[in-house]
Amino acid sequence: MVKLEASWLDQVTKPARYTGNELNMVKKDLLAVETTFALAFPDVYEVGRSNLGLKILYHILNCRADIAAEWVFAPWTDMESIMRENHVPLYTIENMQPVADFDVLGFTLQYEMSYSNILNMLDLAGIPLLAKDRDETHPLVIAGGPCAFNAEPLADFIDFFVLGEAEESILEIADTVISWKKSGRQGGKSGVLAKVAAIGGVYVPSFYTVAYHEDGTIANITPNHPAAKPMVTKRIVEDLDKAPYPTKPIVPYLDVIHDRVVLELFRGCSRGCRFCQAGIIYRPVRERKPETLLKLAKEIVDNTGYDEISLTSLSSADYSCLHQLVGSLMNQFKSQGISVSLPSLRIDSFSIQLAQEVQQVRKSGLTFAPEAGTQRLRDVINKGVTEQNLEDAVSAAFESGWSTVKLYFMIGLPTETDEDVKGIADLAYKVLNLYKTIKGRRGAKVTVSVASFVPKPHTAFQWFGQNAPGELARKQQLLKSLLRDRSISYNWHDVEISYLEGVFSRGDRRLGAVLLEAWRKGAKFDSWSEHFKYDVWMEAFRQTGVDPEFYNLRERQKNEVLPWAHISSGVDRQFLWKEYQTAVAEGFTADCRHGQCSDCGVCPTLGVEVIDWEGKA
Amino acid sequence: MTKFRVEITKGEEIRYISHLDYARTIERALRRSKLPMAYSEGFNPHMKFSFASALSVGVASQAEYMEVELKEPMDAAEFSARLARTLPPAITVCRVKEVVGKQPALMAIVNLAVYHLAVPLENKDEVERDGINRAIREFNAALEVLYVKESPKGRREIDVKQYMAEDATVTVGQEKAEIMFSIRITPQGSVKPGEVLKVLVKEFQFPGKSEAAVITRLGLYVEKSKTRFSPLEMG
Ligand code: SF4
Repeated sequence: MVKLEASWLDQVTKPARYTGNELNMVKKDLLAVETTFALAFPDVYEVGRSNLGLKILYHILNCRADIAAEWVFAPWTDMESIMRENHVPLYTIENMQPVADFDVLGFTLQYEMSYSNILNMLDLAGIPLLAKDRDETHPLVIAGGPCAFNAEPLADFIDFFVLGEAEESILEIADTVISWKKSGRQGGKSGVLAKVAAIGGVYVPSFYTVAYHEDGTIANITPNHPAAKPMVTKRIVEDLDKAPYPTKPIVPYLDVIHDRVVLELFRGCSRGCRFCQAGIIYRPVRERKPETLLKLAKEIVDNTGYDEISLTSLSSADYSCLHQLVGSLMNQFKSQGISVSLPSLRIDSFSIQLAQEVQQVRKSGLTFAPEAGTQRLRDVINKGVTEQNLEDAVSAAFESGWSTVKLYFMIGLPTETDEDVKGIADLAYKVLNLYKTIKGRRGAKVTVSVASFVPKPHTAFQWFGQNAPGELARKQQLLKSLLRDRSISYNWHDVEISYLEGVFSRGDRRLGAVLLEAWRKGAKFDSWSEHFKYDVWMEAFRQTGVDPEFYNLRERQKNEVLPWAHISSGVDRQFLWKEYQTAVAEGFTADCRHGQCSDCGVCPTLGVEVIDWEGKA
Repeated sequence: MTKFRVEITKGEEIRYISHLDYARTIERALRRSKLPMAYSEGFNPHMKFSFASALSVGVASQAEYMEVELKEPMDAAEFSARLARTLPPAITVCRVKEVVGKQPALMAIVNLAVYHLAVPLENKDEVERDGINRAIREFNAALEVLYVKESPKGRREIDVKQYMAEDATVTVGQEKAEIMFSIRITPQGSVKPGEVLKVLVKEFQFPGKSEAAVITRLGLYVEKSKTRFSPLEMG
C-alpha cells in the first residue's frame, strides 16, 4: 500500500485529487477476490472523474463479488515530480494499491492527445512500456473507448483493445483472466492473449502483421496467430434499456467537470453528419424507455444528493419521448430544488421551448452548432440545418429572454473556400442583428468558437487530406479580420495541436516509435496548451524518420488499405466512400432513425435494429 | 420554520478538501437525507445553510458549526439522526441545538479558533527538542511578528501577534511536537494556523518540517468578557 506524506500533499495543487475516500467508492479486500482491474483515465482527476464509460465498467465489475475494480488518474506534474523523487509508484485511489499489482490495467482512449500520458503512467507504475517486454508477472494492459477504433499508434504498448460497448465483453475478459489464473497462468501471457482473442470485440495487435508498399502505404494486414480473427467487429448492447447503469456513482469532493446526475437517454446518432466519428461508431440508435430513465434518475438522486440532472446523449433533443421525460422529471424533482439540463440542443424552436421549460436561469447562454458558415458547406457535411432553422431558433431564444449565444463552427472542411469562411462571420452578424430587430436595441453577446477539422477514421472523410497548419491559420486570421464587432468574441484552436491530432487519429503502427521518443523527451498532457511541446514532437518525428504529413495532410486513394482496415464499426466501407462522394456533390442523406434506412450496414452486420420508443412505449 | 445549530467534524481523511468542497459535500448529504430543508426565494433557489467560519485546505476539524433552516418543525434528535445517516464517513454530527427566537448569525459572533498542530520531529535529539521549546518561548515573548501574506490579490504585511489570543504551548514527545494556540477571528481579518507555523520556522528557527504538520481545529468559540462559550451554548 502506498502511503502519502502530509508534506507532499501540502505542496501540490488540489491534493484531494490524490486522496480518494469519496462517497460511494467501492473498496474491497484485494486479496479476497479472484481478479483485479485498475481503470485508468489518462488525464487529471477533474477531467476523468465523471467519465461515463469507466463509471459503467466500475459498476459492472464491482457488482461481481469475485472482482475488484479501482480508479487511477494521471497525477498532475507537481505530484508526479514528488512521486518520482520519493519512489512512489502510480496507485489506485481506493486501496492506494500500486497499479503494477493489478491483473488488468485498462485505459480509456477519449482523445489522441492523451497517448503520451498513457506512456507516462505506465512508467510511473514501474511497468515496462512495450507490450513485448512484459510477461505474465505484469498487468495485462488493455484499452477501449472511441480512439480504440484506430489504435494502431498504440499497438506497441497495449496488449489488447476492447472495441465498442464493453458492458458484456468486460466480464467475458474477467472470466477468462480468472480461469487462466486458476490454471496456473497456463501458457504465460501469450496463453491468455490467445484466449481473449476469441472474445468478440477483442483485438490483440501483436497477432497481426502489417506489410507496407514501397511508397509507405499499407500492402496488407494479416493475422499471424490462429486465434486472430481477420476482422474484429465492435460489440454493442442490443437492448440498452436492460443494460446495467451506475445508480450509485462516486460523488467527488472536488469540483470536477460534469459533476451532476448524468442520465444517458440513448446511444448512437443517425443524423449522419459526415465529419462525425461518434455518429458512426455508436450506431445504431438505441433508446432507453422514459420510465426506466425516471427510475434511474430517482435512484441516482437518492444516492448522490446532486441538484442537477443532465440528459446526455450525442444529440439529446432527438430522444423520441423527450417532452414526456422532461415533464415527469420536473414534476418529480422540482420541489427538491433539483434542475434538469440539456447539454446538446438541436437548432430549432422546439429545443428553445424545452430549454425555456427546464432553465429558469438566463445567465448561461445557449449553444448552437451550425458547424459551417454557408448552406453549401452544411450540405457537404450533411448538417441538416438551414439558415432559416438557425434564425427561427435564435429568434425564439431572444424572444424568451436569452441574450447570449454561442456558435460552434469548423474550418478546414472538405471543399471549403474563403466564401464559406466569410459565411461564418455573416452568420454571427445576422444573429447580432436579429437581436436588434427583436428587442429594438443592441445588447446581444455572440461567441464564435472555431475548431479546426481533423479527419477521423471510420467516417466519410477518412480519405480527406487535412488542411495544412498555415492554411488553417490563414483562415483563422481571415475570420478574425471580419469579426470586428465588440459584441462578438471569437476563439479558435491551436493549429499545432490539430496538426498532431491529425497525425495520430489516422496513424499506423510506425507512430509507436515517435510516441515513445516524444515521451522520452518530455511530452505529456498534450491536450493542455501550457504543456504541449510542439518542438519536442517535431524533433521526435525527425529522429525516428517518420513524416507526419504522410498521415495528416495526404489525400488517400479509394482503394488504399487504411491502418484500421481490420477493425469494423459495423458500417460498410462502401457506404462511407459513397457518403464522401455524395458530400462533394453536396447531396443529402436522410436520418435513418424514423424508418428510412440508408444502408450503412451496421444493423445487418451486428444483427440489431434501431430502437426508438416513440409510439411503442 | 425551524433553525438548528449543528456541531460537525471534518475528518482527517478529507482534510485536503477546500471549504467550498466541504460545504457542497454537506449540502448533498442534506439533500440525500430528504429533510424538509428551506430554500431561498427566486429563480435559483439555494438551500438555507451557513457556516460559522471557513476552514483552510489541509486542516481537519473536531468542531465546525453551521446553521440550517427547515421548512417544518422537527425534533433536534431526529434531525441529527437523519443527517448522520447520509453524511460521508469522514464527517460526524456531534451536537444539534435548535435556535429559538431571533439570534445573530453564527458568522457574526464567532471570534476565536483553537488549533492543534502535530509536527513530526526530524532528528529526535536534544538539540531539536531545545530548539522547539526556544522557538515557541521567543515567539510568545515577541511583541510584534510580521508576516507577508501573499494572495492573488497581492502582498500584505500583517502582525501575526495581534491575532494570538494567548501564549502558544508546546509538548515535545518521542516522534512529534504538539503545539496549541488560539487565534482571534476579527472583522478586519485573521491569520491561518499554517501561516503561524511558517513564521515559527522562518523567523524563530523552529526546527521541524512545517509542510509535514497535521493541523486540526479543535474548536470555535465566542469570547465575551474573557469567558469562552461554544456557539451551541449561546442563545
Ligand atoms: S443499417 Fe440502416 S437503420 Fe441501421 S443504422 Fe445503418 S442506416 Fe440506420
